[in-house]
Amino acid sequence: MFGLWKTWKALEARGIMGINRRNADYVLKYNKRSLYPIVDDKIITKERAIEAGIHVPELYGVISTEKEIDKLGEIIGGRNDFVIKPAQGAGGDGIIVIADRFEGRYRTVSGKIISHEEIEHHISSILTGLYSLGGHRDRALIEYRVTPDQIFKSISYEGVPDIRIIVLMGYPVMAMLRLPTRQSGGKANLHQGAIGVGVDLATGLTLRGTWLNNIIAKHPDTTNAVDGVQLPYWDGFMKLAAGCYELCGLGYIGVDMVLDQEKGPLILELNARPGLNIQIANDCGLTQRTHAVEAHLAELKARGISETVEQRVQFAQDLFGHIPAVEG
Amino acid sequence: MRSLTLHLKILIAILVVLGISITAYQIFVLGIPVTEDATDDLWNIDAKVEFVANAKDPIKIQMFVPPLSRDYVSLNESFISNNYGVAVNRVDGNRKVTWSARRAKGNQTLYYRLVLTKRYTAEKAKIKGPTFRDSIAVEGPEKIAAEALLAPIRQHSADVETFISEAIKRVNNSSDDNAKMLLAGDPSPANKAKIVDLLLSIAHVPMEKVHTIRLVADQPQAPELWLRSFNGTDWLYFNPETGEQGLPSDRLLWWIGDDSLITVDGGKKATVTFSLNNSEMNAIRLAKLTDENTDANFLEYSLYGLPLQTQQTFMIMVMIPIGVLVILVLRNLIGLQTLGTFTPVLIALAFRETQLGFGIVLFTVITALGLSLRSYLEHLKLQMLPRLSVVLTFVVVLIAAISLFSHKLGLERGLSVALFPMVILTMTIERLSITWEERGAGHAMKVAIGTLFAASLAHLIMSVPELIYFVFTFPAMLLILVGFMLAMGRYRGYRLTELIRFKAFVKAES
Repeated sequence: MFGLWKTWKALEARGIMGINRRNADYVLKYNKRSLYPIVDDKIITKERAIEAGIHVPELYGVISTEKEIDKLGEIIGGRNDFVIKPAQGAGGDGIIVIADRFEGRYRTVSGKIISHEEIEHHISSILTGLYSLGGHRDRALIEYRVTPDQIFKSISYEGVPDIRIIVLMGYPVMAMLRLPTRQSGGKANLHQGAIGVGVDLATGLTLRGTWLNNIIAKHPDTTNAVDGVQLPYWDGFMKLAAGCYELCGLGYIGVDMVLDQEKGPLILELNARPGLNIQIANDCGLTQRTHAVEAHLAELKARGISETVEQRVQFAQDLFGHIPAVEG
Repeated sequence: MRSLTLHLKILIAILVVLGISITAYQIFVLGIPVTEDATDDLWNIDAKVEFVANAKDPIKIQMFVPPLSRDYVSLNESFISNNYGVAVNRVDGNRKVTWSARRAKGNQTLYYRLVLTKRYTAEKAKIKGPTFRDSIAVEGPEKIAAEALLAPIRQHSADVETFISEAIKRVNNSSDDNAKMLLAGDPSPANKAKIVDLLLSIAHVPMEKVHTIRLVADQPQAPELWLRSFNGTDWLYFNPETGEQGLPSDRLLWWIGDDSLITVDGGKKATVTFSLNNSEMNAIRLAKLTDENTDANFLEYSLYGLPLQTQQTFMIMVMIPIGVLVILVLRNLIGLQTLGTFTPVLIALAFRETQLGFGIVLFTVITALGLSLRSYLEHLKLQMLPRLSVVLTFVVVLIAAISLFSHKLGLERGLSVALFPMVILTMTIERLSITWEERGAGHAMKVAIGTLFAASLAHLIMSVPELIYFVFTFPAMLLILVGFMLAMGRYRGYRLTELIRFKAFVKAES
């Protein structure tokens, strides 16, 4: 009992945010319920992003009724690789990534061969709402398959690594690189076994990582060090993330982005309830950073001004960046 | 934000204060017992009247019965008599029953039965009594003796109260010649009372004779005489033999005045024997009885005012918030993962019918079988709704099979499974299988065990009889509960499991 209390105090001292605090002080306070559909439905997010001139993976087509499943072949056309997603899926569930065609069938990234009928059944499951948050009817979207930049080859196992930046009222507060592992089946979600690696907000240099709630320094599949990697286009990522506040209007979001080999930084999706493991990846608590941003906002409000995307990125980088490298 | 917090705090404070004060009112003012086991004494008094009837004359028997104006509540009163007419009337603060018959022969027996309790008496009415009266005229040596007695009594007393007890003591003093002379060789309590009455009347102190019955079980007894005097606000009771003041709490006032208990016209050898016994009665049932027999309505606006069957439903319903509270604590404070938010509560309700151990076994068996069916159906690539329907039907068949099987084996317990909510089971199977596919078997097991644990705990707490009684009797408790839930709504501390989840930070520090 005493040990637990000590842990509690230690976590509090380091400003580690718990689920209850995240929900009460950030998600409920800054995220208006009416705006949730914008982030919960990937199709709406995509439309908004295109309007705002933000790059997203190209949308090949949307299937919203059972009848439209017949049009699947037409949507895919002659493409060899594509991704099928539920528009309102959560936590990366229900996503199929097709890497290639194989004798009239399809091969997923993990090497599994599936038939056209199986894809159709999967889309049908998506439509009935199997993967959607509330279990209600959903739509399926077929989109461009992102080819990760070569930089990630050495520290990633299959799948597409993505970059998650937590943004509070347009100010990036913490970033992490999510690397799929053999265990996560090519998915970049931490609860499925992916690795989260902290990223220095100012430089884009990776820090140490987290895997299954532990702090690690090497990728468990490739054994390459995950820290000290310079992410390219870092300022671009930061601006992209900061701009998402204007895009969706939600004050506390996790912005998931990828670096495509050809198209550069792309926004994958927004999350209105971003997870907390990013703290372990950065070895740093969120609360102190969010408090700093809130204090800054209060000051700006008193002076009656608001900052541009560049100013906000600059503020975050000055305050939260340049973390000295840890030995070990 | 701050104003919202203040708003919430005020709301919580109002709810808690309201809940506590309503409950306190029920407990302390209405006297509703806090536990179901609380019992109260219930007195059963039988007065048996026996006499020999004259063959020719019409018969009329008059007997005093307790006026029941204060302290006690009568729950039931009956006059048992064959072929006799019964009438009850009030005279000068007394109540009298009159039995009458045109003809009767030989030994006659009549009964008067009274059931009463001390609890739940209504508010005491304003008492009125005389404070002055005229002297009883006495002549000759009695007058001299009385005055000789009164002189030291006056000297030794300060007020009416001490005056009376002093007077009683003097009369009871056997070595006092004046007292002996007044008693004229008859030291019976009735005679002593008469002399005390005389002395007090000379001093213009009013006094009444009251006849009481002692509430003590299985002891033959006759009415006991007490004296009482009104001091302006209250009656003061005195023992005519000792001068002791104050009526013991176990005395029941039967009648007032000089008349004898019973008068018989057309009969002779009338005797009255009292027999008393007490039984204990559940206090809450007693309250209900009291409600029925008096104008009181302690329980009028409580859930006890509902029809019995509805009451039983409500006993389950009022416990659901308690179950929900358990889930709330488990999820938000401890961080236990469960399947769905309120599924554990529904499963807990199902456990009511099946008992805990058997319920867990059934739940596990049906869910396991359902899961295997579900994984087989997965291969058939069915749409969600048809698939769910198949699983539901399978669950129904499974439940029927288990019922039949256990019935053949003579296990009545198995029949209770029919009440296991099938839809809940079906949804549990469906969700569990999705969790299994997406998060792996380990996570699914964790969630399933978490759900079963939460359901078991909720069930155990929801079926504590004391708690059920308490919440059902004092529904205002739910307001306090809501206050707690509201407070939980803004709880920002860590969950217990997060302390383990973020352990890496503490390790890194040390």
